[in-house]
Amino acid sequence: MNRKENFTAGFIRENPVFSLYLGICSTLAITTTLNNAIGMGVAVIAVLIMSNVIISLIRNITPNEIRIPVYIVVIATLVKIIQMLIKAYAASLDTALGVFIPLIVVNCIILGRAESFASKNNVFDSALDGLGMGLGYTCSLIVMSVIRQVISTGVLNFTNPFDATQMIFEFRIIPEDYVISVFNQPFGAFVTFALLAAALAGYKNAKTAKAEKKKKAQEAAQAALAKEAK
Amino acid sequence: MYAVLLFAVLGGLYALLYYCNHKTPLPEGCENLKAECSGCKDIGCANHPAHDA
Amino acid sequence: MDIGNLFTIFVTAVLINNVILNQFLGMCPFMGVSKKSSSAIGMGGAVTFVIVAAAIVTYGLYHGVLAPLHIEYMDLITFILVIASLVQLTEMIIKKTSPSLYKALGVYLPLITTNCAVLMVALENIKQGYDFAEMLTYSFAIPIGFTLVLYIFSTIRERLDAAKTPAAFRGNPIALIVAAMMALAFSGLMGLV
Repeated sequence: MNRKENFTAGFIRENPVFSLYLGICSTLAITTTLNNAIGMGVAVIAVLIMSNVIISLIRNITPNEIRIPVYIVVIATLVKIIQMLIKAYAASLDTALGVFIPLIVVNCIILGRAESFASKNNVFDSALDGLGMGLGYTCSLIVMSVIRQVISTGVLNFTNPFDATQMIFEFRIIPEDYVISVFNQPFGAFVTFALLAAALAGYKNAKTAKAEKKKKAQEAAQAALAKEAK
Repeated sequence: MYAVLLFAVLGGLYALLYYCNHKTPLPEGCENLKAECSGCKDIGCANHPAHDA
Repeated sequence: MDIGNLFTIFVTAVLINNVILNQFLGMCPFMGVSKKSSSAIGMGGAVTFVIVAAAIVTYGLYHGVLAPLHIEYMDLITFILVIASLVQLTEMIIKKTSPSLYKALGVYLPLITTNCAVLMVALENIKQGYDFAEMLTYSFAIPIGFTLVLYIFSTIRERLDAAKTPAAFRGNPIALIVAAMMALAFSGLMGLV
C-alpha cells in the first residue's frame, strides 16, 4: 500500500491498542493522567522510529535464522538509552511511569513492526511507519487518559515534564463532589479500555456493513443491466 | 569495557541457543500443536499464524 | 529469615497486588490463552517455571557480576537476554526429553519471552532490595497469582463464549468487562495484611 495509507493506518484502521490489542499492559497501567500518556507516547515514538531505522539499515546483513535475537538486542539498547535520558532530564516522568519505561522493551508493538515492516522495507518508509504507529498509539493513550482523568478527578492539567513545578494548563471540568474516583483504579482502566475497544469495533462493523451493502447494490445493478442487454 | 564484553557474551549465547532451538525437531506427535491463542495480532509473537509457512 | 515478612510478601503478591488485575502485566496471554481451563493451567505452569528460573539467574547475575563491576546500567539488557536465552534453553530441553511435557507446556513457551510479568519480577527483585528468601517467595507468588486469575477467568470465559453479546463487544471487549468485575472483587481484599 502507498505511503499515506500506511501512515494513517495506525490511527483508526489498524489502531495498535484498540484494534490489534498490542501493548495493552502499559496502556491500562499509566493512563491515569494526561502527563503520563504524553510522556509514554513520546518515549515509544522515539524508540519505534529509531528501532525501525536501525533494523531497516541492517536488514540485509542479519542472518535470517537469528533475526529475532538481533531485534531484541537493538530494542533493549535503545530503551535503556531512553530510560537514562528520562531519568536525567524528566525525573517526575520517571517516578510516574516507574517500571513501565523498561517494559517498553517487551511492548509488542515495537517487535511486531520490526518484524512485519522494518525488515522488509527501506529506511525512509520504515521511519514513516514507526512515526505513524507511534502517533496512533499516543493518540489512543491521550483519548483514554483524558477520559479517565476527567471522570476520576474532574481536572484536566498538564505539567511540564522537564520541570514539575510548572503547570502549563489546568481546567476543572467536573465539580469535585461529582467525580467517580474508581476510574483511577484497575476497574476504571478495564472498563474504559473495553468501551473504547467496543466503540472502535462497532464503528468498523458499521463501515464494513455499509461497504457490503454498496457492493451488493452495485452487483444487483450490473445484473439488471446484463439482463436488459440480452 | 566489561559492559561490552558482557553484552557480547550474552548476545552471542542467546543467538546460539535460538539457533539450536530452531534446529531441534519437534518430538513425534507434536508437529501440529498450536497454543490456540487469538488474543492479539502481534506478528512478533512466535505463536501468530503468520509464522506457519 | 522472618516468616511473617515472607508471608506478607506472598499474600500481597498473590491477592492484593495481583500481577494481572492490579499491575496489568501479562495481559497478552490473559486475553489469548484463556478460552479453555486446560490451556490456562498449562500456561500457568510454564509461566511459573520461567519466572522462578529467570528470577534466580538474574538475581545471581546482578549481585554477582553487575554490582561488583559497577555496570548496573546494563541491567535491562542483561535481564532481557537472560530471559530470552532461558526460554530457548527450556524449550530445547523439553523437546529433547519429554514429548508429553512438551504437549502440556512447551507450546506456551514462545509466548513468555515478551511477557511483561517476567521482566517485571526480575526488575522488582532488584528495586525492592530483596534478599534471597524474599526473592524466592516473591518469584513464586507472582506466577501463582497469575495462574489463579487466569484459571478463574477461563472458567468464566467458557460460559461467556456461548452467551449472546452485542456484536461490537464480541471477543475481547466483553472479556475485559469481566476482568473489570474481577478487579473490583479482588480490590475488596485490600485490607487483608
